[in-house]
Amino acid sequence: MCPVAMIPEIQSANRKSFALALTFALSVCLGLFLFLAPAVIIRPFRFQSARALNFAMSVRQQAPIWSLIFAAVTVILAAFLWRRVSRWKKVLLGAGICLVAVSAVMSRVDYFEWMFHPVPVPGFEAADRSKLDSSEMVMSVRFGSDARAYPIRAMAYHHVVNDVVGGVPVAVTY
Amino acid sequence: MRDEETGSWWQQASGQAIFGALKGESLELAPYDELTFGLWKQESPAGQVLAPVSKDEKEYDSKWEAEIQKLPLVLTFPGTALQSRDVVIGLEVAGASRAYPMSAIIAQSPIQDRLGGTPFLLTAGPDGKSVRAFVSRLDGADIELFRKSGGDKWVLMDSASGSEWNFQGCATSGLAQGKCLERLPLLKDFWFDWRNYHPSTTVYRH
Repeated sequence: MCPVAMIPEIQSANRKSFALALTFALSVCLGLFLFLAPAVIIRPFRFQSARALNFAMSVRQQAPIWSLIFAAVTVILAAFLWRRVSRWKKVLLGAGICLVAVSAVMSRVDYFEWMFHPVPVPGFEAADRSKLDSSEMVMSVRFGSDARAYPIRAMAYHHVVNDVVGGVPVAVTY
Repeated sequence: MRDEETGSWWQQASGQAIFGALKGESLELAPYDELTFGLWKQESPAGQVLAPVSKDEKEYDSKWEAEIQKLPLVLTFPGTALQSRDVVIGLEVAGASRAYPMSAIIAQSPIQDRLGGTPFLLTAGPDGKSVRAFVSRLDGADIELFRKSGGDKWVLMDSASGSEWNFQGCATSGLAQGKCLERLPLLKDFWFDWRNYHPSTTVYRH
């Protein structure tokens, strides 16, 4: 083949690689966005407006499916690009795959709840057997003859306790 | 809060679902108290106390109140009468809401006030820490209650019948004996939080 005739082919091959690489980067960014946008908006000790919260939750609702799709697209694009690129760019491809994988996993995890420690099955003790100091604050409910106290010091750690008091299901939260 | 069944998100302060399949639904607020354990035990000797989770017990912070004061501020309302983390007792009656600084309640208890047309009494208990609110109306007529001075027992007295009332809001002696006043729900909260969920709240001033 005449070398001159090859030039347009090389150019088109380069252009194709470039387009693939761009799509790869975009796919990584979108995959990562699905995890990071809600994580940043809902981060603790920050005020969330109703609109921002709604946006974050909507993204989070869609994230489990879409993060998988972007992860798959990222892997496929990386496979196409793998033999076309130099070694250090292969490292970038690997990093991109790692990022979308993390995003896909985190989109399925309720990491917001890591800082809370709900009590799955609450245990109780009789009032006169409790070692609680009489000056400690408790939250209390009573239904019929059933009275319950939830020490605030424990609630400030666990935050949510599901209980049934006098036949009434209650969520105690602090 | 998130429910396991639908994954909807529930706002603690209002009990409303704000996202998910149950959005717009509300949980009913259960009548509850925030009391000292000593007082609760007196009133509910047969009651049950949430047992500490043994693996977490060491994490329960005895200085939780001080620790919370150190956390970053989420919201501030500059120009309002109170500081963000001032502790208030919030009351909402017929759409009208008012915040009572905890310090004012401790100093002035009982406080007689009126909100949304309802006369009520806001009072700290015998322990000086627990707070309750009662509609101060007896058989359709407004009454005024005050602390009975003298004696070491914590007793309220009403000016109309001279009956004595306990911290459960029930008359223990006098003409009204056996009658109980209606309780009003209240929320002990930080000022910024109360103000956020009750934008039109007023602040109690004596």
